[in-house]
Parts: sequence; C-alpha cells; structure tokens
Amino acid sequence: MHFSEDDLREALKRKDPGEGFTQRVMARVNQAKAEGTAQPTTKKPNGKLLAWWMLRPAWTIAVVAVLLLAFGIGGYQYSEYRHAVENRIAREKQQQLQREAERARDQAILALEIARAKMNHVLQHAQLQAEPNKIRRERL
Amino acid sequence: MEQTAAFEDDRLKQALTLSLNGDAEAFADLVREHQGMVFSIAYHYLQDRSLAEDLAQEVFLELFQSIERIQSPAHLTYWLRKVTANRCIDQGRKKSRHREMALEEAPEPVTASAHTDPMLLDKLQQSLATLPEKQRLVVIMRFQEGLGPAEIAEVLEMPVNTVKSTLHRSLADLRKGLTRKIREVRYAFF
Repeated sequence: MHFSEDDLREALKRKDPGEGFTQRVMARVNQAKAEGTAQPTTKKPNGKLLAWWMLRPAWTIAVVAVLLLAFGIGGYQYSEYRHAVENRIAREKQQQLQREAERARDQAILALEIARAKMNHVLQHAQLQAEPNKIRRERL
Repeated sequence: MEQTAAFEDDRLKQALTLSLNGDAEAFADLVREHQGMVFSIAYHYLQDRSLAEDLAQEVFLELFQSIERIQSPAHLTYWLRKVTANRCIDQGRKKSRHREMALEEAPEPVTASAHTDPMLLDKLQQSLATLPEKQRLVVIMRFQEGLGPAEIAEVLEMPVNTVKSTLHRSLADLRKGLTRKIREVRYAFF
C-alpha cells in the first residue's frame, strides 16, 4: 500500500492538547513556585557550590589532601613507569648489540674455515706435483 | 504576510522578556503559542494522550526554570523541540512496554481532510509507533514540524547524513509495516 508524504503530514498534523492545558501548566508552575522548586534563577550553580565549600573548611582541607595524595601517588607511579620503560629500552639495545656481535663472530669463523679449506686444497695440489719428482730422484 | 510574521516575532520577544521578569501572563502566552507543537511531538511519539500531556507540562515547567537561558523566539522553539525530543526518549524507555502493545492502544481517531483515507492515516500512525525511537523522532520532526535534515540533525544531535539515511529507512519501514498491516486486515476479513 502506498502513501504520499502529504498523507504522512496529514497523519502527523499538530494536535491541540485540549481546553485548559495552559491553565494546568500555570497551575503546576505556581505549585512548583510555592514549593520553591521552580524559580527562574539567575544565579549560577557554581556559585552555590563554591559557597558550600567555603562554609566547610574541614571538607576543603580533606579534598585538597586527597588531591595532593592522588597527585603524589600518580606522579610516583608515572616516574616508576618511565624508569621501567627506559630500562626496557636499554636492555633491548644491549641485546641487539650482543646479537650483532655474535653474528659478526659467526661470520669471522666461517671466513676462517673457508680460508683453511682453500689452504688445504692448495697444499694438496702442491704435494701431488712434488710427488713424481721425488720418485724420479729416488730411482736415479 | 512578512509583516504579520515580524509582528508575531516582536510579540513573542516581548513575552519572553516579560516572562524573564516573572510575568506569569506573558509566560502563559508563550505556553499557548507552543503547546500544540510540544504536545503533538509527545503525542505522536508516545501515542498516549495522558502521557503526552504530562510530558508537555513537564517541558513547560522546565522552560519556566530555564527561561533565562532562552535568547530569542527562534531559540525558544529550538529549545522546546530539543527538550521534548529528549524527554520523549526518556519516557519511551521508562514505559518499557513492548511496541506491539502500544499498537493495541487505540489512538485518537484521525480527523482526515476530504482527500485522504482515514484508515490509511490511522494505519500510518500505528506503523509510526513501531519504528525505533530515533527513527520515530526523525519522522515526526520532518513531517510534523517540517524541518529540513540539517535542522533535525541539530535538534537530535545527529550527523546530517545519518538523518537523511534514517529518514529514508523510516519511510521504507513504514511502507513495509503498512503493507503487512493491510495484509493482516485482508486475512481477517477473508
């Protein structure tokens, strides 16, 4: 079933709350005024709060102490955290240096082994060439 | 026409100033001027006349308490729409009833104009009650208050694109819901 936007506008047409609505609202306003709950106040709530604190020095001192304690604990924890982070970074750097040194050592050992193998090879060749001359000399 | 609007604006400005100084009659004038809007938003949202009246009264009571914050007649309209919408959402949650239950309540019969089908309007109102809260409010703001997406976004504190997509989805849901209702009626008859 189709409906147009006009149908929707028609369905949602403003309705009148009925006779005496304004009077009922004003009665509630007056009642609230009489109970002191509805006052068009111009004072800001912050002023009230400040006055409340001013009248209660013990509370103020307690709150300041709690805040100082909280800041102190927070600061200490933060410095501990920073210290731990710095330690971790230093440790990681040291481990990395160690790893690099080990890698360099391994490479040096490998290079020496290759050099040793080549030297052996050359030595074997030299011995083989020297061998026939030796036999000929012995026959003579 | 423009002159009348300007005159009306001046009258409301004056009423606002007088209300701020504690003039009860001026405040009553402001209530009279906006009661239809506030009550209708609440009524179309809650589909319950007495709840809507209660809510509207509370909105005006809050207005009385916060009148010094209102800067102009336009701001007053915006403030009332916003507060009413927020209170509707709160009230709707408090009700915590199943939406289908709300459908069973017979809303006030629709007074249709000559070219509209009263049954269609009735079903439209019932289908509206089944929409989720934000969708319902967007539809009410669009079609009752005639607000554009940007204005709705401001009142309901939503991004404009979300308003547009919500509106689109709501209309689709309304069409779907209406078709289902008509089918149910047909099955009931045949």
